[in-house]
This record gives sequence, structure tokens and C-alpha cells, in this order.
Amino acid sequence: MTLPFASTSLLNPLTALGIILALGILGGQIARKSSAIPTLTGYIVTGLIIGPHGLGLISQPLIDTSDIFVQLALGIALFEMGRRIDLRWLRHERALLVTALGGGAVCFLALYLTLSLFGVHQETAAVLAILALSCSPAALLEVLRETRAEGQVSERLVTYAGIGNLLALTGYCLTLGWSRQNGGLALESWLLQPSWTFLGSAGIGLMAGLVAINANRWIGAQYREAQEVLLFALIALTVGLSSALHMLPALALLIFGLSTRNMPSGYAVGSPWVMRYSVVFFAALFVIAGSRLDLRVLGDHLPLALLFVCVRSALHILTGALMAHANGLARRCGALMGLALMPMSGTANLALLTSPALLPASASAILPLAIATLCLTELIGPPLTQLALKLAGETRPHT
Amino acid sequence: MLEFKNSKPLTLGVELELMIVNRHDYNLTRGSDDLLSLLARHRHGYDIKPEITQGMIEIATGIHEDLSTMRHELGEIRALLNQCAEKLNLGLAGGGAHPFQRWGEQRIYPKERYQLVSELYGYLAKQFTVFGQHIHVGCPDGDSAVRLTHFLSRYIPHFIALSASSPFYQGADTLFQTSRLSNVNAFPLSGCMPQVRNWEAFNHYFGQMHALGIVASMKDFYWDIRPKPEFGTVEIRICDTPLTLGLAPLLAGYARMLAHHCLETGWNRIEPALYLPYTYNRFQACRFGLAGDIIPGCGHERISLLEDLLGTLDRLSDSAHALDLDDCRLQLRERVAKRHNDSDWLRAQYATSGSLSDTVRHQSERWMYDA
Repeated sequence: MTLPFASTSLLNPLTALGIILALGILGGQIARKSSAIPTLTGYIVTGLIIGPHGLGLISQPLIDTSDIFVQLALGIALFEMGRRIDLRWLRHERALLVTALGGGAVCFLALYLTLSLFGVHQETAAVLAILALSCSPAALLEVLRETRAEGQVSERLVTYAGIGNLLALTGYCLTLGWSRQNGGLALESWLLQPSWTFLGSAGIGLMAGLVAINANRWIGAQYREAQEVLLFALIALTVGLSSALHMLPALALLIFGLSTRNMPSGYAVGSPWVMRYSVVFFAALFVIAGSRLDLRVLGDHLPLALLFVCVRSALHILTGALMAHANGLARRCGALMGLALMPMSGTANLALLTSPALLPASASAILPLAIATLCLTELIGPPLTQLALKLAGETRPHT
Repeated sequence: MLEFKNSKPLTLGVELELMIVNRHDYNLTRGSDDLLSLLARHRHGYDIKPEITQGMIEIATGIHEDLSTMRHELGEIRALLNQCAEKLNLGLAGGGAHPFQRWGEQRIYPKERYQLVSELYGYLAKQFTVFGQHIHVGCPDGDSAVRLTHFLSRYIPHFIALSASSPFYQGADTLFQTSRLSNVNAFPLSGCMPQVRNWEAFNHYFGQMHALGIVASMKDFYWDIRPKPEFGTVEIRICDTPLTLGLAPLLAGYARMLAHHCLETGWNRIEPALYLPYTYNRFQACRFGLAGDIIPGCGHERISLLEDLLGTLDRLSDSAHALDLDDCRLQLRERVAKRHNDSDWLRAQYATSGSLSDTVRHQSERWMYDA
């Protein structure tokens, strides 16, 4: 269904952005006043209602004109998540590293086997199981920011999610190579291209990190605004460059953030909360993410998608609970950390899944199931993350 | 009626309030619960407890007669705390005030007393997120405690200047050597003990305040120095928490030398004139530290604080010798003569990097790993 005025000349990219933001904020505030639902869920639902799959107030081409906001918001979130991976801490706190790596391995194997049991093709099952390792950086960080959650569950949650995303992106490159080798493609196609994708993305991230550190040292912390604009510019450059070179922007940005946190003199890159200046981008991101959700796919794929989401979440909760003591947490808090990992990276994964150059040939068949899964986690993930943090006692009392 | 529990004279104990900071931007973080939960897994027997807001933690030593055993105990407590903080990726830091925390963002620790303080004092409770060192000196009886409390009031500027480590507050350089005490001043029951002459008179005063419903216990007095009858001590509450663990016992040693001098000489000149320059001297020490001028007493000439402190340290040589604190006295003397000061160190760090986050990073590393 599309409203008649949706295609009139009154709607240009700017009015579309205005509508996206204005209605998004309205929806976000309605959600906020409920106190049980995070603002970002309000944004997503608003997008769902006004998008082409809802009232059709904004058409798909107009939404696409706002894509730059989505790219930048994702870039900022991934950079920020990369900055929260503290290698010095992980060297000292092996329990967390083992939890994240072990949890990822168990999650991948369990979902791979489950999907295979349901007759899903091996490569396709592998791609889906890898997607399950990812966790939406934008959703997690936005819930943390909104609830102002602080404490061990929040701290470990972000690190766990960051490692999960790194695993997912690494696994994705490996699966791409594996799939192409199985397809009998030449060495260049199955080994060099995935390697180029992986190493090139990491290289861009690392370069951006080095530039950020040295430029920030040169500018000096007294000129914080200049540093922040520079950081923003480097995030945009990293997204743009890695996209243009057919690499993985998500990986490049994670490595960018990670390098500024962990390389010598990385402290020169200021406050990690670049996000606090990015509310506009995030509002646009979530409204647009909602507008791209097509709930009709749930009709055909709901049972398997639900099973997928439940198994993934159960594994995270189980891993968190079993490893809680080693992580210095109460068992209940470990389980809550697992529950809080519910949101999957919808927009980033959709971009990946709809890019033929970056997808195993057989994997296009899973697109509807993947979209159904992402629909579920986008809608129920953030409220569950908020609930988990609240039950862990880490949110501000008034939230 | 408060009963003063007699204790062995000149024994020492210290309490230190420490900052708990995150390691992303080194702001204060809600970490005391996580830290205490993890500490509870160790069988340590140390006195480590929460403070009014959740970015604070307090450690306290046992009773000591020797600074080396105190230093050793503090070292052991720090090692245990560091072990737990490293696991949780938290930083611990000394210093009297966090340079850029926002008081409105602090969370009151969920303990009945702190909740009551928060209800009564409103925003003052959160602004009380400042970090001090308290020194307890054992007294044989209540009368001695009252005398010692008055005697030490003359030396309050010395303790302020020696420990000053809070030049930055709420993201700005206050131009004070210690900004922490401005937060304490806001409390209606802050300041100094009234001019009672002995324990009986003190009890009478306390009884009146209690009957008026103004105080329920000694904890309600936020004085710079106060008798602590349940411990049998006089508690000096004026010092900022030092940036290094090593300075804390030296400050305690200075208090012990002064107390020895007071008790041995039978000092008893409790008179109103004693307190005439009190707030002036206190301000000078807070604002200028060792570079301030003070008026040592009525009828005395104005003198530089540094000169007064060096002179006092010289006059305490007999006490230092009697207490085996010669080394402590000399270390303090050297520190003063060289004008070594934690606030200046913090300002130098900030001048180098231009970042308060980075300043706290250095501050935290200094507390956790320096001698």
C-alpha cells in the first residue's frame, strides 16, 4: 500500500529526511514514556509504519537517499564498539576472552547443526550461523547510552559483542572462500579475493587508526572539537573507501576503533563517546532500519526464524551463566549478559546479504529466512537488552 | 552520653577514600559493588567498604604503632584491590577530587545511612563525591582527645598543604591547591569543634545537640578534626587522599609527632583566640598550598606556610626521635623544602597532554603501581 502523495514532487530527499526524523522522534518519545521500551524501538516501529512495507508514506528510493546517515551511524557505532575492545584487559582477563571465543564457537556449531538438521544447505547454514555471532553495535550502544548503564555486565557485554562481530566478519570471509572453493572456482577467486577483502579491510582500519592517533597528538587535546571533527571525517572516509574497494566497512571500522584503543599513544584519541553527538544519525538509522523491515516474510519463515533466535539466545544465556563465576559475575548476571546480546546487526547484515559480490552463490536462498530472523531480533532485541541491564541493576534508577 | 573508649596513646590508623574509574575515558564509574563482590571471594580480613557514591571505595588500616607496618598493610590492601580492579577493568586512583566527573551523574550507594544523608542534604550528598584521608590518633582518655583536637587545629594548614591533590574540579582548574574542602564546607555541621575544654563539656554539648534533634551520632559532625569516642581516637579529616600510597603513612607520622608533642608537653591553651585565624589559615592553605601565608596564632606575625611547616618539623625532632620517626620527619622535610606537591604534579600532567582524561590515567597508574 502506498499513500497517493508519497510520490508527489513535495517529497524530495530533504523533506523525506525531515519526515523520517520528526516522526522518528515522535515514535521514540512514545516508546520512552512507556519506560519498558527503549527509544530506538520507537524509531524502528515508526520506520515500519511509514516505510514502503507499511503506510508507504516514504518510498524506497527516497529512503535510499538518506542512506548516508545510515552508513555514518553504523560507522560510528562500529568504531565505538572497536574502541571498547581493550586488548590489555583481555590479556589479563582470559576468562572473558574464553567466554567470547568459546561462546561464539558453540553458537556457530549449534546453529550450523540445527539448520543442517532442518535441511538447510551446508554453506547456507554456515552463513546464517555466522550471522548469529554478530550483535548490533548500534542497538547495544544506544541502549547503554539511553539507560546510562554502567557495571560489569555492560562492560563485558560490549566486549563480548565486539569480539562476536570480529568473529562473524572473519568467519564470513572464510565461508566465502570455502564456498567458492566448493564451487570449483579458481584460486584467485576462492583464496585471494576473500583474503584481500579481509586483510584490505583490516589494513584500512589500521591506517585510519594510525592517522587518527598521530593527527590527534598533533592537534592536541585542548582542541577537542577539531579532534572530534577529524575523527568523524576519518569514520566517513573509512566507510567510503572500504565500500568503494568492495571490502567490509564493518571490519575496517571495528579495527579502526580497536587500534585507537590499543596502539601506543591511542589515548590521544579523545572521549570514546563520539556517539553523544550522533543522535540525529542514530534516529535516522533506526527509522530507516525499521522502514526496511518487511514483516510479511515472517508469515512463511516464522517457525524456523523463531527457533533460530531462541537457540541463539539460549546459547548466549547458557554461556554467560556457565562462565559467570570465572568472569567475576553472579550466575544470574552472567545469564542476563547473554540475554542482552539479543539484537543482531540487522542493517549491516542486510547490506552484506544483498551484496552479490560478497555473498556465497548458494546463500541467496536464505535471504528471506535471514530477514525474518533480523526482523524478530530488531523488534524484540533492544527491549530485552534494556530489561537485562535493568535486572542486573546497572541502569539508572529512573530508567 | 558518649563514652570515650580509651585506647593506647599515639597508636595510628588511616582511612583512604579512593576513586573508581573506568578505563575508556577515566571518568568515575559505578564500580564499588562489583569490586566488593569480587573482594568477597577472597578471605582477606581487610577493612574495605563502600562510600556515599558508587564511584568511591574506602580502605582502612588496623591499629599501628609503626609506620612500616602501616605501609606494609596498605601495600597488601592495594595489591588485593589492584588484582580485583584489573579483573574488572577498573582503575583506582588517589587525589582529593576527580578532575572532570559531573556530580549530578553520581549514584548514591544503596545503604540506609547514605540514602538518609542523600534525602537530608539533597545535591550536597552527590557533591560529596570527594576523596580524603582520615588519620586516627589513639588517645588515653576523652579529656586528652579534646585537648589534642584543639591543639591540632593550629596545624590544619600543614595537613592541607602536604596532601593537596585536587586542583581540578568539574572539568576546570580551580586555582586552588585543594578544591575538595569547598564541598565539605557546604555542610551545616562542618567546620571545627566548639571550644569545650574537656570531655564532660563535650558531652554536654553533644547532649544538647542530640536533644535538639540536630545530630544522632558523632558521624553527623563533618568537622575537620573530631574526637571519635567509639575508637578512642582523634580523627583528622582534612587531608586529600594522596596520589601515592607512600605519602599516606608519612601524613599519619606527622600527626603522631604532633600528638606526642601535645600530650608530652601537657598543652592546654584552649582559648577563643586559638580559632580567630582558623578559617583564614585554612583558606590560604587550600588556595595556595605551601605558597600560602598563615597567622600561627593571635599576636603572631603572618608567616609563609612553608616556613612555618619547616620550623614545626624542626621543632618536632625530639618527638620524632622518641617515636622512631626520624626518617618520616626527614622525608616530609625534604618534600616540603623541594616544594613537592601532588596538585602541581597533576597540573604538570595536564599541561603536557591537555587532557583531563589522560591526567586521570596517569593519576590512576601512579596510585596503583607507584611505591
